[in-house]
Amino acid sequence: MSHQDIHSYLAAFDDIPGTRVYTVARARQGYWINQFAMSLMKPENRARWKADEKAYLEGWNLDEDQKAAILARDYNRLLDLGGNIYFLAKIFSTDGLSFLQAVSTMTGMSVEDYQAMMLAGGRSPNGVRSIKEGN
Amino acid sequence: MARITAGVATSHVPAIGAAIDLGKTKEPYWQPLFAGYDWSRQWIAEEKPDVVILVYNDHASAFDMKIIPTFAIGCAESFKPADEGWGPRPVPTVQGHPDLAWHIAQSCILDEFDMTIINEMEVDHGLTVPLSLLFGQPDAWPVKVIPLAVNVVTYPPPSGNRCWLLGEAIRRAVESFPGDLKVQVWGTGGMSHQLQGPRAGLINAEWDNRFLDMMSQDSQRLRTIPHIEYLRETGSEGIEMVMWLIMRGALGADVRQLHRHYHVPASNTAVGHLVLEPVA
Repeated sequence: MSHQDIHSYLAAFDDIPGTRVYTVARARQGYWINQFAMSLMKPENRARWKADEKAYLEGWNLDEDQKAAILARDYNRLLDLGGNIYFLAKIFSTDGLSFLQAVSTMTGMSVEDYQAMMLAGGRSPNGVRSIKEGN
Repeated sequence: MARITAGVATSHVPAIGAAIDLGKTKEPYWQPLFAGYDWSRQWIAEEKPDVVILVYNDHASAFDMKIIPTFAIGCAESFKPADEGWGPRPVPTVQGHPDLAWHIAQSCILDEFDMTIINEMEVDHGLTVPLSLLFGQPDAWPVKVIPLAVNVVTYPPPSGNRCWLLGEAIRRAVESFPGDLKVQVWGTGGMSHQLQGPRAGLINAEWDNRFLDMMSQDSQRLRTIPHIEYLRETGSEGIEMVMWLIMRGALGADVRQLHRHYHVPASNTAVGHLVLEPVA
């Protein structure tokens, strides 16, 4: 196998419409978002979080933007700030939402429309492969 | 001599586990998905493997952001189901095979693969859903399981070729293990799905089916698929398919396809399933 150029490898990820690839840059930026989300794996932490979300967030090394996005359950914003979907899942699971319900909130579709799209075979890759190529 | 007798590929969607645990497998939404596993459940009951090397990815359960191993092998006596936020799945504790697992670890390290050795770990739906799909709801799993966790979350994950080569190294390790054991390798996760961002819900059935074809024919091409192609064509979480290549690499040059199943959707996901047998 030929050696992969790291810069072209990473640059290609920015060319996929509506997609945030969890690169190390995002992993570093969102470290504490993800570790906060991970803490909700423990029942005692979930209880403290539910009792007072704002107070719970004070215990974490998060900036105001990150805190606001968490409180607003703005998952696209959280992805931009370095959140990862498998970690963010701990937040929406604690809210009692399924993957399907939570994921649909990132698409601008209603849960019902998103579910209907999945039942009809899902979102077509046509037109959403590449920003540059427009295909 | 221990030997690899078969390979299984299957998706490991969490909602599938919930459907099994809650007794919903006969509901109209789920029935066509589970019907595709009927053949495999009967097959494996007759096959009776001794050990399954189960390649999967942890979903922020055993590993958080503190440690990100590319390839981690579970060498413990047993592995409890993880609490993923709604309590652990009501499934049996997974029994390991420490002698074989340690043997594979040391053999692969000598073979230039830097394995992370895990001696205490809980296992999430990535590992338990495939077991439920093949074995149903027994009081104890009828097989020993060696968990092999692959990082497919934080980029870069291993390349497809690296996964294939690890599969080859696992085969050499198994074949050098003293004792008569029937070993299967399972590759789990995939097929096309994207769980994040405005493009969420992407399904590419055409690409998925070509990939399924290539698993038994033209398999060398699988090794050269770059990450960007998985991402563009099958969604951001379609990258999980590189884990199937560890299984495929372990089976050797030629395989016979015994069973194939493909279904859309399971929650957000396309479900793919293969049973393959090495051809000596």
